[in-house]
Amino acid sequence: MTGNTRRGVMKRAAGAALAVLMGASLLAGCGSGSKEEAAANGSGDGKRVTLKVEVFDRGNSPSPHTITNNWLTQYAQKEFGDPNNIDIQFVPVQRSEETTKLNVLMASASDVPDIVFVYDSSVFYRYAQQGGLTDVGELLNEHGQNLKKYLGDETLKFGQLEGKQFAIPGKRAITARYNGYIRQDWLDKLGMKAPTTTDELYETLKAFKEKDPGGLGSKNIPMGMALAPSGYEPLIYGFIKPVKGDLTYSQRYELPLHEGFKDSMQFLNKLYNEGLISKDFSLDEQEEQLGKDFQNGNVGFMTEDVGQILYADGALDSLYKNMPDSKVAAVDAYTNPNADNKHIKSRYGSNGMYIMIPKSSKRSVEAVKYLDWMASDNNLLTMSTGVEGENYDMVDGIPVIKEDASQEIKDRVYNGGDMAILANGKVIGDQETNERAWTAGFPKQNQELMEQSIEIANTDTVGPIIFDRPIEAEAKYGTALNDKLKVIIVQSAMATPDQFEAVYEREMNDFMKIGGSELKKELEEALQEQG
Amino acid sequence: MTKAKATPLKRYGELNKRSAYLKRYWQLYALLALPILYFVIFRYGPMYGVQIAFKDFNLFTGINDSEWIGLEAFREVFAMNDFYITLRNTFMLNFLDLIVSFPAPIILAIMLYEVRSGWFKRFSQTVLYIPHFISWVIIGGIVYQLFGTQSGMINGVLQGLGFEAVPFLTEKNSWLITYLFTGVWQSAGWGTILYLAALTGVNKELFEAADVDGASRLRKIWHITLPSIKPTIVTLLILNLGKMVSIGFDRPYIIGNTAVREYSDVLSTFVYRIGLEAGQYTLATVVGLFQAVVGLVFILGSNYISKKTTGDGIL
Repeated sequence: MTGNTRRGVMKRAAGAALAVLMGASLLAGCGSGSKEEAAANGSGDGKRVTLKVEVFDRGNSPSPHTITNNWLTQYAQKEFGDPNNIDIQFVPVQRSEETTKLNVLMASASDVPDIVFVYDSSVFYRYAQQGGLTDVGELLNEHGQNLKKYLGDETLKFGQLEGKQFAIPGKRAITARYNGYIRQDWLDKLGMKAPTTTDELYETLKAFKEKDPGGLGSKNIPMGMALAPSGYEPLIYGFIKPVKGDLTYSQRYELPLHEGFKDSMQFLNKLYNEGLISKDFSLDEQEEQLGKDFQNGNVGFMTEDVGQILYADGALDSLYKNMPDSKVAAVDAYTNPNADNKHIKSRYGSNGMYIMIPKSSKRSVEAVKYLDWMASDNNLLTMSTGVEGENYDMVDGIPVIKEDASQEIKDRVYNGGDMAILANGKVIGDQETNERAWTAGFPKQNQELMEQSIEIANTDTVGPIIFDRPIEAEAKYGTALNDKLKVIIVQSAMATPDQFEAVYEREMNDFMKIGGSELKKELEEALQEQG
Repeated sequence: MTKAKATPLKRYGELNKRSAYLKRYWQLYALLALPILYFVIFRYGPMYGVQIAFKDFNLFTGINDSEWIGLEAFREVFAMNDFYITLRNTFMLNFLDLIVSFPAPIILAIMLYEVRSGWFKRFSQTVLYIPHFISWVIIGGIVYQLFGTQSGMINGVLQGLGFEAVPFLTEKNSWLITYLFTGVWQSAGWGTILYLAALTGVNKELFEAADVDGASRLRKIWHITLPSIKPTIVTLLILNLGKMVSIGFDRPYIIGNTAVREYSDVLSTFVYRIGLEAGQYTLATVVGLFQAVVGLVFILGSNYISKKTTGDGIL
């Protein structure tokens, strides 16, 4: 443990939750002294070195664990760190301020972890363009054979820029993204069938509003909505025309550049003005209110990330507890008039997050070795799911979670998803196996609904186009446009119907002016190049 | 030096006087050292970074090795539509705040001063101070719980009584009122401290003399209480005017939302967005520098006007 890292820890440890770690790292620091500060690049010299790894902090560490000292960090230290003479130190970054915190960390040569990651490709491009990242191509050949095998050339391509490997992309287990949920008991009460087209959805919502099957009065929310992607993306995808078959522009803020986007806003405007969606959706970016409304049984229909409500003691379980008579079904409601009335919806690309090694890192070799270790043997599974026989049993090649495991054992992997950075979800084998493994992780009573959800989410999906060069306008305008997209959605929805046209035009003009038109031009050029 | 040589005796006496002075007062200077250190480290030190505004700042090569670009970034910022909107909003919110929030503590302080019962005065002071110690994050949570259109308590009551729900947070004009009164609620009590301190210095005999003359309570407030806190009012007004172009980050960021972005987007949130979120540090620094320069002009201007008109100033 070096003097620098110790100072770094102290600076970041403002959160009281880290007090424990601080003590520990100070002690560790005393033990190993600061002689190693002079340790040169590489690890062959037999000296103990420190590898700093970013980890998402969601503030959900169960006692006695902390985000930097828990069963998984100890596992990594024991299995990888100790044999290689490396101290692994985890650097927490709050999940909700992922990029802002990373921007700050990257600016400091001494505080920045040796392994950082980000989901936003434009951030990755920006770092790469400014020369802040290590080209790991050679390092992968030398120290990362397992890693290369695990990821495969197709996934690795996501992290390449002009022939250089500036990022190691994680792998995504499942590309299914969104589906709809509806209150079957409300439908039954009204003698209606589940909606299968956008028009039917509208009729259903109107019936929910007028006939109020839940008997909720002013609390009745026919369609639950939040200013979150899982709310507005399925709706928008229900109207836009994909630019290239089953592929389209990948970034969220590129949605307004699609034909049909205006129709989606018009529809949203109609829903809002007729009182069919959550009135305060514009305040609810974290889906907190939506979650509450759903659990209290006030919501008739909503779209969500697949499985989001189905976790043990999750939103669905609480709804059933609060309202024993309620019943929720998965639905595929939107049909896209601009794409042959198919159930168009977005799917994830096959990559996960961009894992990067900053150029200033002196531990790039160890960093690659760590990732290589994670990709080898059973380590990835252990890091995401725990120990076989204690946390899960292998059934037909699928890890099935042991529900009767003690809380202590379950808590081992409470942050498994955030520690196993090479995988988004459980990467076991092919997509279908992964889906089965994922479903097996849900409580028994929700598994059927989960299967239906995945099936719906996989219907008529549209994936991201991957260009082999970065779109510079994305790096430059992405954040501003993302912000503007939210404004367009909110303003279009909340305008009175007779003002919709004017408001929409005004906001769209603004969008084009602050970078939208440059982005559009660049995307269209890149598309043509690709042929 | 030549002067000292010419009159060594006088010079010696001066030195002697000075060392005696230092001996006597060194503790006061020692006390001053810490605040000065604070200003040097936290207020002057960071000015080194101002040069980012004139450079194409690269996160990884550092300030020194980034390329000079002259005023290019200024041109870019002044061409941004958002810049003018946020500038307008900053002025608007600050100006309205000045009108609504500035008189509130004065009125409150006078009312507290007029309270005769000692325990009630102390009790109400404490109650009034508390909001100042609550962070805006928490206030934001409370505001959302209270003023939400569908789930807020106030609208729940309104709807229960048969009224239409009021979009306190999502309609821009209603939001403005919510924003302003949240500010009053949070800061008015704390703001009374300075006025109450000034009022403790008022000679009680003035009131007795006024009583003898048969002055009513309002007369006394008008002719004794208010004039005695006038310098405090002027000083605070100048300080507030100087802050017209700078606005705190927490309050507009937390109370604001996407639906009222047209009003709630201010310079500080703008800097946060382009600087920390989008990583365009150069542009963010330009806006920050602009803010500082305009702020300086404002504070000097208002000080000048105040000196001319009332004879009171702070510089």
